[in-house]
Amino acid sequence: MTSATYPIQAGDYEGGGAASRALKEQLKRIGADPAVVRRAMIAAYEAEMNVVIHAHGGELRAQIANGRLDVEVVDRGPGIPNIEQAMRPGFSTASAKARELGFGAGMGLPNIKKNSDLFAIESSAGEGTQIRFTIFLKSQALYGSGGHSIAVAAEKCHECLCCLHVCPTRAVRVFRGKPQILDYLCIDCTACIGACPTGALAMAGAEESFVPQADAALLVPEPCLAQFGPGVPPQQVVDELRALGFGEIHVTEAWDVALRRAVIAYAGGEAQVTPIISPGCPAVVNLIEARFPSLIPHVAPFLSAPAAAKSKLGSSRGIAVVLCPAQRTALLAGDTAGHPKIITPATFRSAIMPRLAQERHRRDALDRSGQGQAVEYGDHGPAGPTESTRPAEGLGENLLCVTGLPHVMALLEAIENGLAGDLLVVEMWVCDGGCFGSPLLAEDPFLARHRWQAVPTGNDPSAQAVRRTDPFAPRPGLRLDDNMAKAVQKLAKIDKLARSLPGSNCTLCGAPTCGALAEDIVLGRAPADACKRQKNQPEDLR
Amino acid sequence: MKLLDLAGKISADVLTPGRGAEVRVDQVYAADRISELLDAAADHVLLVSNLPGSHLVRLAELMDVPGICLVAGQMPEVSLVEAAKEHGTLLMVSPDGLFETCGRIYQHLVEEKRPGR
Repeated sequence: MTSATYPIQAGDYEGGGAASRALKEQLKRIGADPAVVRRAMIAAYEAEMNVVIHAHGGELRAQIANGRLDVEVVDRGPGIPNIEQAMRPGFSTASAKARELGFGAGMGLPNIKKNSDLFAIESSAGEGTQIRFTIFLKSQALYGSGGHSIAVAAEKCHECLCCLHVCPTRAVRVFRGKPQILDYLCIDCTACIGACPTGALAMAGAEESFVPQADAALLVPEPCLAQFGPGVPPQQVVDELRALGFGEIHVTEAWDVALRRAVIAYAGGEAQVTPIISPGCPAVVNLIEARFPSLIPHVAPFLSAPAAAKSKLGSSRGIAVVLCPAQRTALLAGDTAGHPKIITPATFRSAIMPRLAQERHRRDALDRSGQGQAVEYGDHGPAGPTESTRPAEGLGENLLCVTGLPHVMALLEAIENGLAGDLLVVEMWVCDGGCFGSPLLAEDPFLARHRWQAVPTGNDPSAQAVRRTDPFAPRPGLRLDDNMAKAVQKLAKIDKLARSLPGSNCTLCGAPTCGALAEDIVLGRAPADACKRQKNQPEDLR
Repeated sequence: MKLLDLAGKISADVLTPGRGAEVRVDQVYAADRISELLDAAADHVLLVSNLPGSHLVRLAELMDVPGICLVAGQMPEVSLVEAAKEHGTLLMVSPDGLFETCGRIYQHLVEEKRPGR
């Protein structure tokens, strides 16, 4: 929750808007949807300028909490004698000076009302006016959001449209040269990030730097420890992390192993259906909730490995390296207290690299002088290899591990069609080669996995699978309109428009299919003339 | 069309280039009322107006508007130019009146969209 109060000066036309601007900064900081920011700015600026024009000063109070923005604009008089009249479009009592500057069109109050979800005005002549409006940060009424973790840097987009072709749920649009991701469709996989050649799509909201406080806890997925070439075994990376000041270092592999055991036990006992799907990859779970809701009973009711390991991080000082947006969303789900700081594999790598270079330099110097001994880090690991998380290893004939989005989609379809009942447990990972194949990692997945096996770290005996408290639920998807009658009208429009489009799904417009474009146009996301190949559009659809 | 290219095509005098070399616009909207400008303002829209005063730049800043075009060769107050410079908003002055300026801009935007180009 955040709240703030900003003063508003009477008659300050030059500085007017400062409170709205401060509010905009707040909204951007919490990553509010641009459409929400736009509505909030129209309403806030109108309300603020009302105080500048009409009142003897006042203030704007804003509060952001529980998914809503509440704004209160209070002034110190003179008040509005007749509110009904003031609400009428075109009615204004603004001074000649204000009108000269373009204010006083009599549209202020109607504009605030139009752009907010809740609106109230109270005024008593001679005392002052109080305007309150609320804007829901996610239009919860219309969308069942996935709460996604992919950030868009529009200025880097070259409109190559690669992202449109790879998105499994068709959640990406590139209109007006800007990629945007539809929350209610996005499953937080890495397909678009991996396909984007310019970095316009990346993981959202990660810390830029990496400063471990004394005895801070770190959660790191094992692929991150095998990213430093042949000369740097994972154990050495762990040693360097200790030297950096981390008291506890937890490798998520232990939780992956625990989860696998729990899922196999669940499939052999409680499960009512076959096959049982492991919830190891949170993007696969999102995909099932969004596109294969009939398979929800197949998913074993456990948390993914990073989410289960979160409890090890303690309250606020934990740092977690995450491999993909889905892991980030899974780690940040639930209550807001006790969320770890999130860093990307790249940030992790850049913090470790200088230390490794120093270490190599020191060893080279020792070798040359003939003194001391080069340290063999490979011997540091505990005795005996740990249980591996290598896909499919250690699984019997009725168990299957599948990686890569196309194969995952094919298998989900097979299960949905009843063609996979011979399998007992399936593990699916959307990245090629499992988590080692995340596009956020630098090293080739096969090389990295090979190096990881060569030098295992210890198995954390306290790692356990954690049962979910909230059940998996299908995504409600998009509702075209709150009002059923209007929704039906919109549906008819979309239908008609879709039939008038070429149907070639060329994607040149920036939508993944002609059907998607029809919906985008009717819902106002795309310009009406977005299609580059359409010959004649029905007039009544414009 | 890139905002700066558009400014060249309508022979406008660019006072502050802002991000005009990178930012594209595909719509133009003209009004002399703040409420109307607010309603139409967006990050792909060029605003055209007769209004004087630096509050235009504040509006552009709040609504992510990349550029403002003043008309009829009327040079704006220093405060407006300063504000535009500070916020990276492109500010230009068209030699033509409001109506004609919009007409020319519209023509260039439509031409750009025409297939085969």
